[in-house]
Amino acid sequence: MFSSKKSAVSVRNAVKRYEGGVLGLAGVSLECRPGTVTALVGRSGCGKTTLLNLCGAMDFPTSGEVEVAGLVTSGLGDAALTELRRTKIGFVFQFFQLLPALTAMENIELPLLLSGAKNPAAAARERLGWVGLAEKAESLPYQLSGGQMQRIAIARALVHDPAILVADEPTGNLDTASADGILKLIRRAADEFGAAVVMATHSAEAAAIADVRVRMRDGHIESVDS
Amino acid sequence: MSPALFRRLILRPLRRDRARTALTLASIALGIAVVIAIELSGNAATGSFQSSMETLVGKVDYEITANGGVDEQAIAKLTALPLNARFSPVIEQPVVVGVAGAVRPAATTLYGIDLIGAGSGSGGAADSDSTGFDPAKVETFAAVSDDLAARLHWKKGDAIELRGRERRRVFTIGRIVNGQSTGWVGVDIAAAQDLLGMRGKLDRIEVFAGAGDGDSLERAIRAAVPVSWDVETPGARSEENRRMLRAFRWNLRILSYISLLVGAFLIYNTIAVSVVRRRAEIGILRALGTSARGILLIFLGEAAMLGLLGSVLGIVLGRMLASALLRMISDTVNALFTTSAPGAIALSPEAVFLAILTGTGVAVVSALIPAREAARVAPAEAMRRAIVEHETRLHVKRDVVLASAAATVAVGLAQLGPIDGRPMAGYAATLFAVAAAALISPAFVTGSIRALRGTLKRLAGAAGLIAGRSLVASLARTSIIVTALATAIAMMVSVGVMVGSFRETVEVWLDNQLRADLYMRAQGSASAGVFPPLSAEVPKIAAGVPGVEQVDVLHAFEFRYEGTRATFGGGNMDVVRRRRFIRFLAGDADTILASLPGADRAIVTEPFSDKHHVRTGDVLKIPLGGREVALTVAGIYYDYSSDRGMVLVDRSTLLKYLPEQPVTNVAIYLKPGADSVSVRHELETRLADYPLMIAPNDVLRRGAVEVFDRTFAVTWALEAVAIVVAMLGAANSLLALVLDRRREIGLIRYLGADSGQVRSMILTEAGLLGLLAGVLGLALGMALSLVLIYVVNKQSFGWTIQFHPPLALLAGALALVWAVTVVAGLYPARFATRLQPAEVVHEE
Repeated sequence: MFSSKKSAVSVRNAVKRYEGGVLGLAGVSLECRPGTVTALVGRSGCGKTTLLNLCGAMDFPTSGEVEVAGLVTSGLGDAALTELRRTKIGFVFQFFQLLPALTAMENIELPLLLSGAKNPAAAARERLGWVGLAEKAESLPYQLSGGQMQRIAIARALVHDPAILVADEPTGNLDTASADGILKLIRRAADEFGAAVVMATHSAEAAAIADVRVRMRDGHIESVDS
Repeated sequence: MSPALFRRLILRPLRRDRARTALTLASIALGIAVVIAIELSGNAATGSFQSSMETLVGKVDYEITANGGVDEQAIAKLTALPLNARFSPVIEQPVVVGVAGAVRPAATTLYGIDLIGAGSGSGGAADSDSTGFDPAKVETFAAVSDDLAARLHWKKGDAIELRGRERRRVFTIGRIVNGQSTGWVGVDIAAAQDLLGMRGKLDRIEVFAGAGDGDSLERAIRAAVPVSWDVETPGARSEENRRMLRAFRWNLRILSYISLLVGAFLIYNTIAVSVVRRRAEIGILRALGTSARGILLIFLGEAAMLGLLGSVLGIVLGRMLASALLRMISDTVNALFTTSAPGAIALSPEAVFLAILTGTGVAVVSALIPAREAARVAPAEAMRRAIVEHETRLHVKRDVVLASAAATVAVGLAQLGPIDGRPMAGYAATLFAVAAAALISPAFVTGSIRALRGTLKRLAGAAGLIAGRSLVASLARTSIIVTALATAIAMMVSVGVMVGSFRETVEVWLDNQLRADLYMRAQGSASAGVFPPLSAEVPKIAAGVPGVEQVDVLHAFEFRYEGTRATFGGGNMDVVRRRRFIRFLAGDADTILASLPGADRAIVTEPFSDKHHVRTGDVLKIPLGGREVALTVAGIYYDYSSDRGMVLVDRSTLLKYLPEQPVTNVAIYLKPGADSVSVRHELETRLADYPLMIAPNDVLRRGAVEVFDRTFAVTWALEAVAIVVAMLGAANSLLALVLDRRREIGLIRYLGADSGQVRSMILTEAGLLGLLAGVLGLALGMALSLVLIYVVNKQSFGWTIQFHPPLALLAGALALVWAVTVVAGLYPARFATRLQPAEVVHEE
């Protein structure tokens, strides 16, 4: 596990301009430390998803620099990015994004299978237990509720002990009770595994569990609360 | 539907998915092309059967024929009757044309007609006014077809040499007849009789009726000639030729329909994929007020557009393919059935209309089920695919029961006999067998993937795990593509086993039949039913050549039995008994053959027995030499030389009734230690004056096998097309699966899959599809091969084929098809690796 106090994610004056001149980010800087939860908060179109994508190495800045797990992302090729995703980053999506053809257990195992890890089943079983769904190992996604699917997604995102957990509106599609459960798990991921969690959210409850709340507006960071 | 809606809801989606639309169009086009090509080339190859002489002598109303030839004296008898008709003698025989400076003389057809009588205002083209014909030069006058003249570079006024059985004569070309599609030479009847040694004999008498009652003329003619003679219209002969070819053409048609059937599966799949991919659109349209019927029409419209465009392409392609197939089919018709000159390939407006109707109709019918499913789905449920797949799984058990029922029906149909001489129940059995395979396919896919789950994960890791699960998750579509591929593979396997078995059976038969060292026949056409006569001197001269131990002769000619043409032969049964091995369906060969010499007994081939329902012990009444001869059937033997059927008697029996019947084939057995090459050379020297072909045993055997292989060349071509159609469908479906799982693929990239792993996943899916289709296709193909061998072939042609599956060939072909299926996955795999993860995952 990653235990250094050095930032897991470091964004320095990042500007993101899209085709047609649309400005996604207008010179943003941010540091995310291990073991902390950083919430990116703001209205739709404020740039939080764009910033989240940069933090997860899903996208690259037009100018400025983004460093993820000690690597500057703009200079990385496909192989290096793949390696980064395999070992350092875990993703949680708003719409769960489980593979419908695989069981819960198989969905969780998948990152380890892709990286060629030995005995993926054991690690997957452990994570499944950690999210409290050991009895759902052989269930297919369509047999699970929204909350259960998101738990499986979190287990999958953490199975390879990533340094960074990127979560895009993780409670956006859930009822209040399920959402609470998910937020607890995200908090535990930072506290127990030392992951640096970066979370984009509309939800006040989600923002409440964060160590750092970054408010954004029109591609700028308006304020940063700790 | 308004044009604007048609453009936006039907045409635009087709244009958007260019690659898949192109693949679907190609599949339909190929299927239609094959059906059209077989129909057009079949029509052209069987020709018009119109008499070549009609241009020269005018339209014939009746033909009078007799087994062994017509007595010339009948003309005088008929002419003396108070009938308003003209009777004309005709000889039609193969002849050799001597070409100055040519290494090999050319063989053609000689017509002998009454040139003087034909020029008597008959209205025929032989009228002296139109041809410049001089009766004083009738003995040396020759008319030739423009086809032959062009081939041999002849012109009017040239001297040509014709060689008959015993004589040669020189003629002068007095006329070249235009518009002919075959080669022939026409001379005066007396000159032809002299050249061919047929004094007093004719091949037929042609009747030109004047004004009056045709029926009473026919009755009067029948009353005047022996009962055993035939009096029929030329059209009846053409009709008989067409009947002979019916089974052959039907079998080719059924094979061509397989490609269309495979195409139908693929159209079903294409529309089903379209329904799934546009499910959100369906929901929106329904929410905006589109009726269920409207949704149905959108997808049927899509299918109809694909069918229409594919058919048009298919017609163009089919016309080109017909030209390539014509030669193959024509060769087979001539070798196995009857002499025929291929006509022109005629793409009539009716054929075009029928092709478009077929292609569009098949497309619309194939799309019915998925289109109805789309129409039934409520707007909210259109968003959830998982439920549809779950329902497919629930129907699996029901489909297994239906598959068992279909298989049972197939077995039952295979037990039934022919209908109107055609194996219709056999064809229906193959359809039910394919239906059984289609119904069992979902259970087979699910069960196989389940059984292979551990192996897939061990061998291919995540790629194997995801590939297997994805195929089961898309079961509705996966099972269809497996069925389509399996159908094409089954066709390849079944025809391969049938042809392989047939070839092995024929090779064994050839080993038993061809025991002589050398074989001789007259130069001329080797077509079915044509037996050029040899001079009586030929066997005598051959017997005197040093090294020759024994000379065996056969007198063969075409005859009519119960309105169907067959071959009658007289051979030396003692030689046959000692030298050859004839396999009889029942009974001891030695005993049967020993009972023939000096007796009115015959042996018949299996096809003859089948066609005419003849058993051992039955009595055949065959007109020979003006009287009806009763021949007892002593035995039925296996023979694969032709499906026309043969009746064989001892030579002594034949010559008793037809003493002038010429020898047509000679078999020469050499003394032990004699050198075959030098004996052959000596034979050629001593028989230089006779137009002969001499072939050693191995050359004849090789030639027979080549004819066999050429016969089936067209079926291999059809199979290749079916496989190509299935491959296009595989590529199309894999691409559809990739497009439909864009988000999944993007997600897998997020989870750490590199391009190679994504490629492996798609190629593993392709490989699994190929493997499952191969296994299902092999099982279905072996079942179909049994139907082809023991039902279709037996009922169509009367041959018994021993089951000898060519295992090495099959294994190679299956491996090749599997490899090609994997190759079909390359483009979809490349497409998948180029997907940008961020773009596809965030598509909402």
